[in-house]
Amino acid sequence: MDANDVTAGRARGRVALRVGSTGPYSSELTAGQIGAIADIAERYGSGAVHVTPRQTMEIPHIDIAALPDVTTLLAGHGLHIGYAGRRPRNVTACSHWCLYNVAPMRDAALQLNCLLNENENEKMPLPGKTNISLSGCGFSCVRSRTSDVGVIARSEIVITDKKCKKCSLCVKEPLGCQVDAITLAEGAVVIDRQKCVRCGFCSGVCRPGSIMMKSKSFDVFIGGNGGLKPREAFLYRTVPSLREAMELIGSLLEGYRAHAREGERIGDLIERAGMEWPGQKT
Amino acid sequence: MEESREKFTLETPQVGIIRGVAARDIEVVGGKSVNLRASARPYRNVYTAAQLRAIKSVVEKYGSGKVHLTPRHNLEIPEVGQKNIDRALKELYGAGLFPGGAGSSVRNIFTCPDWCSKAVRPVQEIGTMVSRNFGDMDMPNKVTISFAGCSNACSRPQNSDIGIIAVGKVAASEEGCPEDCASCLSVCRFGAIRKLDGRIMLNEKCVDCCKCAQACAHGGLGIAGTGFRVLIGGKEGTSVRFGVKYADFVEDDFEILEIVDRVLNCYREKARLRDGSTRKKERLAEVMGRLGIAAFM
Repeated sequence: MDANDVTAGRARGRVALRVGSTGPYSSELTAGQIGAIADIAERYGSGAVHVTPRQTMEIPHIDIAALPDVTTLLAGHGLHIGYAGRRPRNVTACSHWCLYNVAPMRDAALQLNCLLNENENEKMPLPGKTNISLSGCGFSCVRSRTSDVGVIARSEIVITDKKCKKCSLCVKEPLGCQVDAITLAEGAVVIDRQKCVRCGFCSGVCRPGSIMMKSKSFDVFIGGNGGLKPREAFLYRTVPSLREAMELIGSLLEGYRAHAREGERIGDLIERAGMEWPGQKT
Repeated sequence: MEESREKFTLETPQVGIIRGVAARDIEVVGGKSVNLRASARPYRNVYTAAQLRAIKSVVEKYGSGKVHLTPRHNLEIPEVGQKNIDRALKELYGAGLFPGGAGSSVRNIFTCPDWCSKAVRPVQEIGTMVSRNFGDMDMPNKVTISFAGCSNACSRPQNSDIGIIAVGKVAASEEGCPEDCASCLSVCRFGAIRKLDGRIMLNEKCVDCCKCAQACAHGGLGIAGTGFRVLIGGKEGTSVRFGVKYADFVEDDFEILEIVDRVLNCYREKARLRDGSTRKKERLAEVMGRLGIAAFM
């Protein structure tokens, strides 16, 4: 445990703890873990708990003297503290149950979290804070495009020669296209590729199989920021599998560590050195 | 493919089948299960231990034993069976928790916590007021409102339809400060501070984030007054847009309520169907792209 594991509170001698799950889930908690957090907040804190935008629970007003007890209790429930300072923050993922998922991101986020955060003594130090967000579809509810590293899953949709039966499920409420990219012309489905965000939902709705999902791909974005100086991320590369996206993130973080000055976010580094620093052929 | 088709039911959700809950509170009404989003609205964006226990009990009894943490401060309880939803909601209501945070409405008002040491001005009180007045109100499309207590903006106000950031006016004291201290210069990210003859000067690049005043240990810099900066028209998701400054320095909490009311009214009045769409209306950012920020004044 170090100073980065706790967040200073307004009251002297009291800190806020950001609590995440080491597993089995990273964007989820189990019922038992929720109960444990409630107990700890009541016993050691003020009974209040905040849910942070990066999918951790923050327990405020914890006495510094009680920290060892609290961390032991949390560890007993598979929870650990951290997620502050210059290091990879909690990897966020969208809901595992969302029907729009092209590829569920929960497990990938968990794997990344384990790689980056789990080893207490060797938490990966980085030049600046690094947010990694994994979105299962183009609606990007975990804000992949204003994160330092973001992944968005896409699906490639094709119109097959199977005849459209004009059931119009793909265009009307509640299951129809969210961005109105589909029109039903004479006996055929037409997709406006400009509007389409490639969520692939229509391929699941289409019963005759006129719309099919051909393949999945993963867009990797880098250099986004929220906060003091917000910045939109650049599309760095598109890879065909989630495994490759994870490997790419690994090498990006290595490159970031090697090239960035202390305190520089990935977006700052891109501003200074361009997109060449990851040192890979595109 | 067969498998993915089975998870859909193709009937339209029946609005109002569940007492007191509109269909939009439910993510997707599936054949077997629905997604239920519990959130601590309208009470301060802070969960109490008792509320967490209520969620725990609902999750254990009716859900799948797991809870998803959403980026807008909701706890999402997945896989609650259709036949149990009434009972689950009753328990949640009893603990002061409400479903929602979905559909074309004002989503959960996000505020950062008051206990953060970086807060320039606490926002939970005003956030709760906005939540009470506008929470869950029907809108042409979804509207997100976020409050940030400092310019670090961890609640992402720049990417919200209405983003409100606490700022402060920094005042340098007449007395000057020690030669060897440069803590204010090193924390300023905007190059807005200069030191001349032991006196601190702020120039027009200052964005009122107050980081220098918070870093100053000598009393050379102080916060003379705090207020809110209001940004509108931000979004994130299919496309990214950052909010545009609507009001620079609002000191009074009630003026914030008036601004939110005015912006929402203008948005409701002026939003129309998206080009080429028969059912989806524009987001606030799209209305602003079409008519400019003057349409909300």
